[in-house]
Amino acid sequence: MSRSPLDEREILFVGGKGGVGKTTTASALALQAAERNRKILVVSTDPAHSLGDIFDVSIGNREREILPNLWALEIDPDRQVDAYLAGVKATMREFVRPAMFSEIDRQMELTRQSPGAVEAALMERMAQLMEEGRRSYDQVIFDTAPTGHTLRLLTLPEIMAAWMDGLLKGRDRSDSLGRAVERLSGRRRERSGDSPPKEEGEESERTGDELSWFQQVDESPGDERGRKIREALLARRRTFSRARRHLLDPDITAFILVLIPEKLPILESRKAVDVLRKHRVPIAGMVVNRVLPGESLGDFLESRRSQEEEYLAQIEALFGDLDPVRIPLLRRDVDGLEGLREVARYLEPFSSPSRATS
Amino acid sequence: MSWKEKLQRFQELVNEFYEGRHRGALAREKREEDDLFMLLVFSEMMGVPNPASYYTLELLPILYDEFHEWHTRMGMDKSPLEHFRCC
Repeated sequence: MSRSPLDEREILFVGGKGGVGKTTTASALALQAAERNRKILVVSTDPAHSLGDIFDVSIGNREREILPNLWALEIDPDRQVDAYLAGVKATMREFVRPAMFSEIDRQMELTRQSPGAVEAALMERMAQLMEEGRRSYDQVIFDTAPTGHTLRLLTLPEIMAAWMDGLLKGRDRSDSLGRAVERLSGRRRERSGDSPPKEEGEESERTGDELSWFQQVDESPGDERGRKIREALLARRRTFSRARRHLLDPDITAFILVLIPEKLPILESRKAVDVLRKHRVPIAGMVVNRVLPGESLGDFLESRRSQEEEYLAQIEALFGDLDPVRIPLLRRDVDGLEGLREVARYLEPFSSPSRATS
Repeated sequence: MSWKEKLQRFQELVNEFYEGRHRGALAREKREEDDLFMLLVFSEMMGVPNPASYYTLELLPILYDEFHEWHTRMGMDKSPLEHFRCC
């Protein structure tokens, strides 16, 4: 199954175990694309951000142009949670007596501390970025937190959508039951003389009356609440189902796994590939980072190399269909634009039109 | 009242009886559906894990008086939730 080269995907995820070079890979791909005159947004989702460090600029929670065509963002989920809770708190205060204000503050503080809140906020921001980013940029590259976390972020929309669907279905039932009740009451009201009395032969106008019941029902105060609940649920659902659709569309999204030729990263990548495939997330490729270079290295590193060869053979056997791209261990660690350009040269195969997606 | 009017009146009473019963049943069902919905939104506070609790938080203000109505109907004077007081 042949797909467009990586450059043409609108959304890229770079994932892998901590410390294998995800941020470096994401930054190198972003810089390369930006220097080819494409407008790129690179997003760090790891709470311990290092994206700014690699480019030697401070980035923060706002999209910022750090180089021509290259925009960067470090998501701060805590600030996201704060803003959301402040909004809920403000609405809440309109509904309750002032004596309850401190109760509300206390409850919002508890929610802030709840384990899911930060993750939920991060998830939502990513979903929004996948939607808005597609419109404003040629490509959005997510430098994600270590694999376990990322996988959860990828599968969460599915769980969330199921939950939201359940809630919406309940609302639907409640709304239609409410309409049925109102309709029966409306008929009674009409009979008991609330509506103007009918002359004989006016039967034909009854249909008009029936319509007016519905209008009446639509404007009743109970319905106002139902409408608000429904709108809030639908807006959430829409964001998540769109993110999910984009995530699973191999023409829009590609996932790149980064690993180094060592035991634990190989095992973790295997789990990641299994889960991603199970959820049908398109994996576009793999980067094997820090492979020992071909030149002679001395006794110590030669013994490491013989072990590394076993691992490289394992990687080939396990992930051969992903066509792993190798980056050698460089003389100096990657720092600054020159270093990133050097890494990007090894990533060139991702731009070749013949790459396949599994 | 002519016999025709009497018949009409009788028919109305029958209808009223029939529809009234259904109206009651439907209203009860709607109330149960609404209670369930509210409890789902509040589930996290009752110790039931809810993957969407963060996102449904914005529904709390809308459900605020429904919650009060629910716990009084259930025979609880005060809100049963420690973290959510309404009265």
